[in-house]
Formats: sequence, C-alpha cells, structure tokens
Amino acid sequence: MNAFHKRLAALATAVAIAAVPAVALGQDGPLVTADWLNENLANPNVRIFEVSVDTGVYERGHIPGAVNLAWHTDLVDTVRRDIVSSDGLEAILQKAGVTEDTTVVLYGDNNNWFAAWGAWVFDIHGLHDVKLLDGGRKYWEAQGLPLDTATPEYAASDIDLPSEPAPLRARLADVLAVVEGGADVSLVDIRGPAEYNGEIFAPEGVQELSIRAGHIPGAVNFPWGGAVNEDGTFKSVDELKAAFAAIGIDGSKPIITYCRIGERSSHTWFVLSRILGYEVRNYDGSWTEYGNAVGVPIENPSGTVWGRI
Amino acid sequence: MTHPAIRFGLPVLIVILLGWGVVTLDAQGPEGRPLALSLLLGAAFGAVLQRSRFCFYCNFRDLVEKREAGGVLAILVALAVGAIGYTAIFGAWLPTPAPERLPPTAHIGPVSLTLCIAAFAFGLGMAISGSCLSAHFYRLAEGSVISPFAILGALVGFGIGFLTWNPLFLAITSNAFIVWLPHQLGYAGGLLATLALLGGLAAAALWWSRPGAAEAPAPLTLREAAERVFRRRWPAVISGTLVGAISTLAYLRVAPLGVTAELGSLARTAGTQWQLIPASLFGLDGLRGCATVVKEALLSNNGLFVIGLIGASFVTALPAGQFRPRRLTGTDVARGLGGGLLLGWGAMTALGCTVGVLLSGIQAGSLSGWVFMAAMVAGIAAAWAAVRLARPGLRTA
Repeated sequence: MNAFHKRLAALATAVAIAAVPAVALGQDGPLVTADWLNENLANPNVRIFEVSVDTGVYERGHIPGAVNLAWHTDLVDTVRRDIVSSDGLEAILQKAGVTEDTTVVLYGDNNNWFAAWGAWVFDIHGLHDVKLLDGGRKYWEAQGLPLDTATPEYAASDIDLPSEPAPLRARLADVLAVVEGGADVSLVDIRGPAEYNGEIFAPEGVQELSIRAGHIPGAVNFPWGGAVNEDGTFKSVDELKAAFAAIGIDGSKPIITYCRIGERSSHTWFVLSRILGYEVRNYDGSWTEYGNAVGVPIENPSGTVWGRI
Repeated sequence: MTHPAIRFGLPVLIVILLGWGVVTLDAQGPEGRPLALSLLLGAAFGAVLQRSRFCFYCNFRDLVEKREAGGVLAILVALAVGAIGYTAIFGAWLPTPAPERLPPTAHIGPVSLTLCIAAFAFGLGMAISGSCLSAHFYRLAEGSVISPFAILGALVGFGIGFLTWNPLFLAITSNAFIVWLPHQLGYAGGLLATLALLGGLAAAALWWSRPGAAEAPAPLTLREAAERVFRRRWPAVISGTLVGAISTLAYLRVAPLGVTAELGSLARTAGTQWQLIPASLFGLDGLRGCATVVKEALLSNNGLFVIGLIGASFVTALPAGQFRPRRLTGTDVARGLGGGLLLGWGAMTALGCTVGVLLSGIQAGSLSGWVFMAAMVAGIAAAWAAVRLARPGLRTA
C-alpha cells in the first residue's frame, strides 16, 4: 500500500469512526442490542469477547471478530481460588488490542451467565463501561445473525489497567459484618429455592461441594433466571425494579449478591448494579465458602443434615 | 431373497423417517440444529460404512488372511484425509499450538497402561464377535445375527467398565499423559509425521498384499453406474476419502466422530439409577474422548448420530440385497455377548473405540489414537493365536 492509499484508508477509518458515535450514542447504557452489534462488527473501536460455559461453542461459530475467553483458565487464578490478577487481564486485553477508547462488549451462552461474571471481573480491574450483548448468544442465534469460525488476531495495544481493584467484591468478613456485626446491607441469594431452603446441597448435575445446606441469615431469595425474558434478553428496567422491590431490594442500602461459586450471582450483580444503578458487591466465595466456613451462623429451614442417611 | 416390498419399500420408509427427523429437529432453532446435523452426518457415515464395508476388523483380517489390502487402505486414506481436515480446522480455531492449549473437544486422550489394556481387550472383543462396535451397528442392516448380541454385551461391558474405573484410575490412569503431535512438531510437522506414518503403513500393506488380476472395467452406462453405487462395494480410496471428509465436517460442526458415547451414557444412566455403579467416577468427566454422561435429555447428538448410522445402513443394504440373516446358533449368542462385553469394557475404559479413539484421535494428531491401534492389533493377534493353539486348523472367525 503506497502513502496515498494509506492516507485514504486512514481517512476512511476516521470517517467511519466519526460516523459511529451517532449510532453508539443509543448504546450508552450497560447493554447493546444485537442489531447495534451487528452494525458495528467492523467498527475498530468495538471489541467483542465471548465468555461461554460450554467448551467448543465459540470455535464452532462465534460473533465475527469476537475473542474467546475461557472462564476456567483466562479469568481466574488457576492456582489460588481467586479471579485473574490485574496483570493477567491486562495481558489478555493487550493481546486483543483493547485500548482506553475501546467499547468492550461481552456475550455468552446460558443467558450471558458467565459473560456477566466476565463483566464483573473486567469492572473490578478498571473497565467500568464494559457492556453485555442483550440476549447473549441465544438471542443472536435465534435472530439468525452471522457467526464465524476463524479466530481473530489483533495488533496488540498497550492498555494499562489500574492495580487497585474497584470495590465490587465482598469477602467473607464483609458478609459476617452484616450477619454478626449488624452492618446495614441487603443480602441477595440468587440460587434456586430448593438450594436456598436447604432441601439440597447443590443443583442437579452439580457436585455437592458444601457440607451445610441453607442460606446466609437474613438473605432474600431471587433466582437469577427471574431477571431475563424467554428469549434471553433482560427484562425492562421497570420490571426489574418492581421485581426486586417486591422482596425489599430497592437500592436504598448497599447490596451483596451471592450464589454457589459466585458466577450466577454476577448476573444479578450486573442487573442491580449496572442496569438499576444500585450499590452492589458480589460475594464470589458464595455458598461454597460460607457453607463450609467453621462456626458461622446459617439458616436452614429444611433442617437437612449432611451425611445423615 | 428379501421380498421386493421390503427390499425397496422399507428403505423408502426409512428415508422418509430420517428426512422427517432432520426437518423437525432443524425447525427447533439453535438447540435443534446440531441434532438435525448429527442425524444427517450419522446417516452419511452409515451409508459410507455399509457401501464400502468399512469394518476395521474385517478389513484387517482380509489383509492378513486373504492378502487383500483394499479395506485397510480405505482406513488409512480416511485417517490421512481427516488429519488434513483437522489440521485446517485447528489452524483457524487455535492459530498456534501453544503448549498449554488444546483445540476444543478434539479427542486428544490420555496415554497410559490403562489405554493399552483397554484397547487390547477391545481387539480381543473384535476377534471374538467378528467386528468393532461401529461395524456391529451397520451390520445390523446386513442381518448379522451376532451384532444385536454384541451391542447388548457392550452395554453390559460398559457397566462393568464403570465398576472398574475408580480402582484403575487410582492405580494407573491418574498418571496418564497427553501427547499432541502439534505441541512437539507444530501443525505442519505433526501433519507430516502423521501422513508419513500412514504412508509407511499403506506401503507395507501393499507390499504384503497379493491382488488378483484386475478386471477390465465395464463401460460407464447408467446401469453400470447404478451397479457401482448401489450394489458393488465402493472403492477403497473413495470410501476412505468420504469417511475422512465426514470426520472433518463432524468435528467442524458438532463433535469428533464417535459411536459409543450414547451407548455408554445409557449404561451409566441405568447403572446410576439402579445404584449399581459408583455415583462419582474419578476424573472421568475431565478426560477427552467419547464422554459418557448421566442422561438428562432424551435426544443427544451422539444418539441421533447412531440412529442415523443404523437407519442409513438399512437404506443401502436392503436394495443391494445384502440383508442376509442366517439361522441363529448358540455360538453366535455366546460370541456376540462375550465379544460385546469386551468391546464395551474396552471402549469405556479407553474412552472410545475404533472410531472415537483410533480414527478421531489419529486425525487429531493424538498419540492415544496410535497407541489404541497398536494395542488393538495385539489383542486381535492374541485371539487368533489362542484359537490356533486351541483348535489347530480352524479358521479364526
């Protein structure tokens, strides 16, 4: 490419970028629509990541240009029980060519379950405007929008993430401060009712990793699936507000969400924090930590006893 | 000779049923589409297996006993074509074979002494029952009286496999290692090594074979073409190429080829429900291969693949006049059940069979596929040697 063509290409890119914000303005919130994303596939300022639970889903067809994130290796510390470090995520984002100006969109299978968890991890490490594709993979496929099997490679960026994590994470001590210390914080348990009530130790098909059943005292139950429509899209702001208000969660005080391992509750974290704008932390230790912790108070309405035959 | 109404009517009926299945599943949207595709790929696989007599055991026996290399060449061509196809897909999905990464869902399985023992038992089972599991499926359509018993025996064998899994895992499998050729040699080097090995085996097979005089081909009239497609056995290179292409397409769109996952899942579900097998099988669900799961949905990709395979074999076997059941004997039942038991146990313990481990493994550049092949051949040879020792002068199968 000679110099003239280079300049022409640069001009075309500039025009394209200049034209984009007009479209992007409609996507200021935490969600982008499938149509918007489809129109912005070639937009160099938009970077898409897929975070799916099932292996091989991304490779057999993903939104064109999307980068794959393996939740069990890329977004966690593979040795300690912890999320990926700031440096670890920085390396991933640099490789994917994400800059400070990039609009980052996440999506995944199972109603964006792990994509929301990814958004929480991204947010903690300083990408506060990360967005989810409304409806996730399910909605994109149902609309018959294009999928690609090639793995994209981008020119590396030099993005620098803050080393100080954002205060979006609750630890066991924070939860105990609520349960035993009387801190004025609402606890939201987003597992199924049978898990919440202590009838079972883990949902069907999942290993029982806690040796106590039930929930954290004072927690209210809101199964995470209640926040999405049949087609996988999130319910409207008004619907969500009303549904949470009905169980006493109205944003008037800080909230801590939790589930079994902290992933499903990220979905509710996203709803309460990013869509409704409440002050929310996600407790990723969740029931597999709390339900195994020694000497902490538990409510178990069903009275199940672990190991009793 | 089968009655014409059955010989031509039944295939038409099966084609309509399979077509109805594909259309209905496809209409179910994103969840149904892979199921529809699995049914179609299974049907394609079944038709090719039946038309070309793509039977691992029979082809190997033809080479050794009759000195006919055609069948073995078909298998080697399938492995070569699939290896090329897989490598092309790997390049798109995992542009560089970085040491800590493996391409998703490819059957790059663990290599261990357990794999050797399991593949050896599988080889014994092949020799006793007369073929491997994929061949038993298509041979149902050829009226094989042994195959139903072999499949039944395999179900039980799977159950025994689950019972012996935990002790075997603790003793041996937990120390297994994974060797993926591209990790060592890169994509180009891995493919070249695979093709060189396959080429060497093909040369050895041809050196050993004693082909009869070739017949002059008849002029290609419409009638002759129909004869070649619907009645005569398909040529080795064509059938091998087709199997390789189906393997590649299946991996690209659904999952690597395998025929035992559903069978194993049925055994595991029943065994778990009746509390015959341990609820927790160490490490099993984390290993690569024909995964067995406790069934939660009636329809699965692998189940539909096998249904398509069997259905299409009937469609091709009946008009060709190859549905030829014979009178069932006690020996058939014993050989079917006994051989099937070994096939099932071997396939469970090796995490797949000739299709899932050997074919899909070698195509993916996994050492486990080659190890399975070697131990399986040793098992077949051991069975033949035992028969010769016990009854000198008897043909092996």
